[in-house]
Amino acid sequence: MIQDLMQLTINGLLQGGIYSLISIGLTLIFGVTRVVNFAHGEFLMLAMYATFFLFQMSGMDPYFSLLIVTPLLFVLGLVAERLVIHPILNAPSFMQIFSTVGLSVALQNAALFFWKADYRSVKTAYSTQTLVASDLLISVPRLIAFGAAVLISWGIFLYLKKTYTGKAIRAVAQNRTASTLMGINIRKIYFLTFGLGTALVGMAGVLLMPVYYVFPTVGGLFVLTAFVVVVLGGMGNLTGAFAGGLIIGLVESYSGFYLATQLKEAVYFIIFILVLFLKPSGLYGIVGSEEMGEK
Amino acid sequence: MKPARFQFWKTSQGIILLLAFAALLIFPQVVHHPFVLHLLIMMLFYASLGAAWNIIGGFAGQLSLGHAAFFGLGAYTCVLLHHYTGVTPWVGMLLGVLVASLFAAAIGYPCFRLRGPFFTLATIAFAEVLRILVIYFKDFTKGSVGITIPQKMGLGNFMFREKAPYLYIILIFTAGVFLISYLIEKSRFGYHLIALREDEDAAESLGVNTARTKLKAAVISAALTSFGGVFYAQYIMFIEPYSEFSLDLSIQFALVPMIGGMGTSVGPIIGSFVLTPLQELLRSWLGGQFAGLYLVIYGIILMLVVIFMPQGILGLIKSFWTSSGEKS
Repeated sequence: MIQDLMQLTINGLLQGGIYSLISIGLTLIFGVTRVVNFAHGEFLMLAMYATFFLFQMSGMDPYFSLLIVTPLLFVLGLVAERLVIHPILNAPSFMQIFSTVGLSVALQNAALFFWKADYRSVKTAYSTQTLVASDLLISVPRLIAFGAAVLISWGIFLYLKKTYTGKAIRAVAQNRTASTLMGINIRKIYFLTFGLGTALVGMAGVLLMPVYYVFPTVGGLFVLTAFVVVVLGGMGNLTGAFAGGLIIGLVESYSGFYLATQLKEAVYFIIFILVLFLKPSGLYGIVGSEEMGEK
Repeated sequence: MKPARFQFWKTSQGIILLLAFAALLIFPQVVHHPFVLHLLIMMLFYASLGAAWNIIGGFAGQLSLGHAAFFGLGAYTCVLLHHYTGVTPWVGMLLGVLVASLFAAAIGYPCFRLRGPFFTLATIAFAEVLRILVIYFKDFTKGSVGITIPQKMGLGNFMFREKAPYLYIILIFTAGVFLISYLIEKSRFGYHLIALREDEDAAESLGVNTARTKLKAAVISAALTSFGGVFYAQYIMFIEPYSEFSLDLSIQFALVPMIGGMGTSVGPIIGSFVLTPLQELLRSWLGGQFAGLYLVIYGIILMLVVIFMPQGILGLIKSFWTSSGEKS
């Protein structure tokens, strides 16, 4: 009984780490550009494919490919911002949603066209390795993914807190107009933030690859979860997204076991709806999140 | 004063629509090619559903991406009723409309407090929850296997061997939705919707009961959408949760008026008559060996429309007539 609960907690937290990393990218982009990026999941998918092909063609260890995939996704994010986000920054939020939905549909089906609908996975020596600690099983690649997610999140917090550019990003997130008046080139900040957010989801994709499989619509699976996490944590709030990811991981793990596997999604969508209705500013309600909604 | 040429465009619109309606009435008597008739049915189908979405999405600016929920509720209510009791789909349709309207009223009240992307995300979540529940309660709903509607032809069973009767039904329905949209557009209610779309707080301060106005529009929109669900189920004689409640469907309903011109009664019709044939043709040309390619093009079109044509086709036409009118 207790042991079940502990095992479920471990599984939930480990899965939640990945959700956190995906969601931090999404919430960073939202907080700064106020664009709800429906193509976020497709960047995850592209990163997973990149990891897969690097492994298949050169036998590169998935974790080593972080060094290649992360900058690749950063550049992809920059390109996407220039082509798709930049022209619609001042459009109504719905138009922005449609534009990113268009990007999502195009990328998803380009993947289907080039790589077919097959499920592909990376088989490494550690893919199925587990640690056993007094009857509890801990999957090694999931533990690595969790540890890396925590480290990366910590890194991005430090970057935003300590560096000059990081401070500028936070300033733009808090108040566009005032930061323009302070001499921040907000267009440049949008550009950079989109790249950063995409690089973060790219790292999540790499870390996910040893324990998951990739197929063209894999992004859709994760992006809705990421939206739940982001709203739960408070749109645009990084700490919130991190905590929200862990919470949703736990909820998924518990409800999958105690309720029914098929219902776990319903459970977190219902949480999502309740959060929207009861406290739309999320767990870590930040000043100005009402204004975000109004756009 | 609007220029005369603009007035001309306005009146010619009505005449064009009447002529089109008459032509479509005669059409199945002359042309019997099943693909052509199917294409026309789909054009009208998306025109009517786009117009239904447009009432809450376009006029009131409440941009839902969860309309598949109403569509699926209509279809499932009707088909399940027929499946378990054998009641004619026409009665099931009325019940489906009722269920969808009640659902819209129930979720409308809390949803309408949300704004911008929050509202849109909430509508997506509702449709997803419904889909998951339909899959989960498979003893009652047959789950992801879906339900094949038994073939019992005849008007009483809302099922026909030929395509022409379906064409007539959807034609009358489209005309009905258009008429409702047109009447709304010209009415006090319509002005209230547009006022709250432009500035909700200002509308409220001028005495518009925004909550009730939005709720009314949502219920009308949901009721019409659920009829579309019933029609589609009876047309393809099969339902299953993944397509009935899909996000793609909700996107399509919103895309049609966006292409044509959001918040106008003609917009969705123009949108569907341009978009649907394009999609169906692309799908039949590229669907087979180039899986995915047609949807890549679809996605790119979506982005281009948002970036270069945010007012839709109608916006382009209007700016053409007004600007050339002003010059003369």
